[in-house]
Amino acid sequence: MHKTTKYFITFVFLFSSHILLSENEPFESTYQPLPAEDILIKDANIYDGDGNEFSETDVLIQDGKIAAIGKDLPVTNEFKVIDAAGKWVTPGIIDIHSHMGVYPAPGVRTSSDGNEATSPVTADVWAEHSIWVQDPQYALALKGGVTTFHILPGSANLIGGRGVTVKNLQRNTIDSMKFPNAPHSLKMACGENPKRVYGNRNQAPSTRMGNAAGYRKAWIKAAAYLSKQEEYEAKSEDAKQMGYKPTRDLELETLAGVLAGEITVQNHCYRAEEMATMINIANEFGYKISAFHHGVEAYKIADLLAENNICGALWADWWGFKHEAYDMVQANIAIVDQALNGKGCAIVHSDDAIGIQHLNQEASKALAAGLRAGFDISKARAMKWITINPAKAAGIDDVTGSIKVGKHADVVIWSMNPFSVYALVEKVFIDGATAYDKNTNFQPASDFDVGIISPNKNRIEE
Amino acid sequence: MYFKNIKLALFIFFIGLVHSESVLIKNATIYDGKNNDPFVGNVLIEGDKISRISKSNLRGDIVIDASGKIITPGIIATDSELGIVEIGALSVTRDDSSDIYKIGFSIYDAFNPHSVLIPWNRSNGITSSLTLPQNTDSPIGGLGSFFVLDSNLEITGSSDIVMIGRVGGSSSSSRAATYSIIEDLLEFAISLEQGDMSSNADISEAIDDSSIAGSMDLHPRDVKALYKLVNNDLPLIMKANRASDLLKLIELKEKYNLNLIIMGAQEAGLVAERIAKSNTPLIINPINNIPGSFDELASNINLAGKLEKQGITLMFNAPRDHNYHLIRQGAGVAVAHGMSYAGAMKALTLSPVEVFGLGDRGHLASGKIADLIIWDADPLEPSSMPEKVFINGKDIDLTTRMSRLTERYTKNKDKPNGYRD
Repeated sequence: MHKTTKYFITFVFLFSSHILLSENEPFESTYQPLPAEDILIKDANIYDGDGNEFSETDVLIQDGKIAAIGKDLPVTNEFKVIDAAGKWVTPGIIDIHSHMGVYPAPGVRTSSDGNEATSPVTADVWAEHSIWVQDPQYALALKGGVTTFHILPGSANLIGGRGVTVKNLQRNTIDSMKFPNAPHSLKMACGENPKRVYGNRNQAPSTRMGNAAGYRKAWIKAAAYLSKQEEYEAKSEDAKQMGYKPTRDLELETLAGVLAGEITVQNHCYRAEEMATMINIANEFGYKISAFHHGVEAYKIADLLAENNICGALWADWWGFKHEAYDMVQANIAIVDQALNGKGCAIVHSDDAIGIQHLNQEASKALAAGLRAGFDISKARAMKWITINPAKAAGIDDVTGSIKVGKHADVVIWSMNPFSVYALVEKVFIDGATAYDKNTNFQPASDFDVGIISPNKNRIEE
Repeated sequence: MYFKNIKLALFIFFIGLVHSESVLIKNATIYDGKNNDPFVGNVLIEGDKISRISKSNLRGDIVIDASGKIITPGIIATDSELGIVEIGALSVTRDDSSDIYKIGFSIYDAFNPHSVLIPWNRSNGITSSLTLPQNTDSPIGGLGSFFVLDSNLEITGSSDIVMIGRVGGSSSSSRAATYSIIEDLLEFAISLEQGDMSSNADISEAIDDSSIAGSMDLHPRDVKALYKLVNNDLPLIMKANRASDLLKLIELKEKYNLNLIIMGAQEAGLVAERIAKSNTPLIINPINNIPGSFDELASNINLAGKLEKQGITLMFNAPRDHNYHLIRQGAGVAVAHGMSYAGAMKALTLSPVEVFGLGDRGHLASGKIADLIIWDADPLEPSSMPEKVFINGKDIDLTTRMSRLTERYTKNKDKPNGYRD
């Protein structure tokens, strides 16, 4: 992250949290890592997540952080040494688009909590208040190397509510899974879904122009709310005593948080011209779109995305399930990545509890398609699509997403090159602690998994 | 007149020459679709057939050097909507359901050889498809057909070669009632004699006399399909997942002598020995380890390998969302989690042919139809793609709408997109 951007965000954060939130930030993360070990991973092949590849290199993990990366690192006896010769090491995989917890397994009506499809603008709802912490899918994603994921509301609404970033450690409250200090996101959705859901009820929006009007009306209200809050905060203490503090409004508080740069925007949008429209709306009201999600037509406006520093969070090959997903090309991710001579930000996302377990394979397909389309892209660069780039879109790239000294020790050891379908995750570390170990069969089981098929066993017995 | 005929004869002679141009694929690493180890050899294609496979030298008019390349039979999609659904959420492009027919609903006449899904899946290695309708209101019913994906408007395929059905948890009624309906329908079908089937009027009379056929409002078309099921060994693909349902279906298979295939079978690992003993083939999605419903709690990524060890005949499916070729990725995942490579390859090729009687396809051997792929790398790596696809002996152009769009947005970008190639 550029320093200036960082300062800007810090400034905005202090400034706006003062304005927009009540005295105490509610629902604060209480995340505590598992007891961390001091570990030396020796002689590994490494994709560091920042676009580099190293061979026969060591990674030192201390106090839950990456302490060093280099050849023949010296350690004391207290370090646990893992021989990773012939194996591959990557940062923990990050998924910017998951509905685990809000659409958990089993997929039944009683815990289908991802879409508050009762009004086209529901900026007041927070995905974290729907999440079922016992979803058995988290542990499956962990075995796919996923250490962090971003849980979003669904796409029935124009503005669907707040998303949340979590560490992939199953705990019995959501606050204790929340990624410390990660910004919230706002889920927005273009196109067919909102206009179908509300159009079918004979209410707005029923068209794409109705969609655009819906966003703009919401931002006009949010801008007015924000200036009222700012006006009040600018008053002297005496004047504040005299007047009334403006009443909080949950919906507008979230939207104003976006305008103040405190909340990222994750925008579900398929068609090229709609993404361009959304960029216009963002410019009209002065907010930033962090990533377009799904973006089956992102390749048609790849340069525009790169110019605006917007990531494309995309699938390798899903298509055709609706009209706006008809123009799929498998090189979509590569074209977005290579826009403006490599200034693009491409992300492979899953939106799916099976896909999240194999993001390495999805990246492999997208890379192969890019090479066939004539681009020169290294595997080390393609690894960014499932590590540092989603971290950037989630606003957590300063602390995770690559194997870099000082970052969280969120690390995966693979049995072989992770771009192969045959590669298996052998070990996953989250904040320097073992969260999964294939060799010792150390794996989490949610409460749901316990004794559910046979009382004496967990759901999955290897 | 005489002269004209000479001309015609010459014309036919030259056409014949063009068609008889043989293709030799040299030095390929051959996975023949059976459970055999791969071998390096030469494949000669003449007309629509593989005329010879040999380790020794062969001669051909056109020679393709496949040194270091893998060739396999064309992959067969065993659970697809290829040709009957264009865009999932657009009902006007869906031809996969009927609100009148329940058991005898056939999708054969709806097949669209020009669907863009066909070149796309073909360019990814799928050469033929068992295309199945949606489940109907009846627990058994709806007929699937087999199609060769050559994009010819003159369809190569076989109509109504399989019936589908399903049992499991439902919001409307008990699965026990579902089993009763299935048994009542089978008993009704068994009670029919050839004489009952001689005309639609006779069949309608039989329907009126049957409580189950009457209450389900069956049509003669439905009854004909039922009759075929119990008298002609029509394969029946039942979708089911819970271990107890798998056992119950095997019980019905044995009681009524059904040609049963179970699809889904997410909990098959719990009853693998019984499935093996009953010789019931399965269609599974090896990448699906999600306990997606209360019927699938035992879902496990190790399923394919576990079932293979019991000697169960396996085939693969992928979610019905356009990319049927992703059964290759599923097969790769199956191998990563314990299945044999040759076994996974057979599941993609020869097994569906043997189970559904699809003729001389799915196997690279002399005399078989030349549906085959030359791969640019390991076909079970999802990053690999075919370099060449032969269907009915013809070298198929691998251009797709997707490859055209890719070119539009990577080359000659100086023109507005409407004026690009």
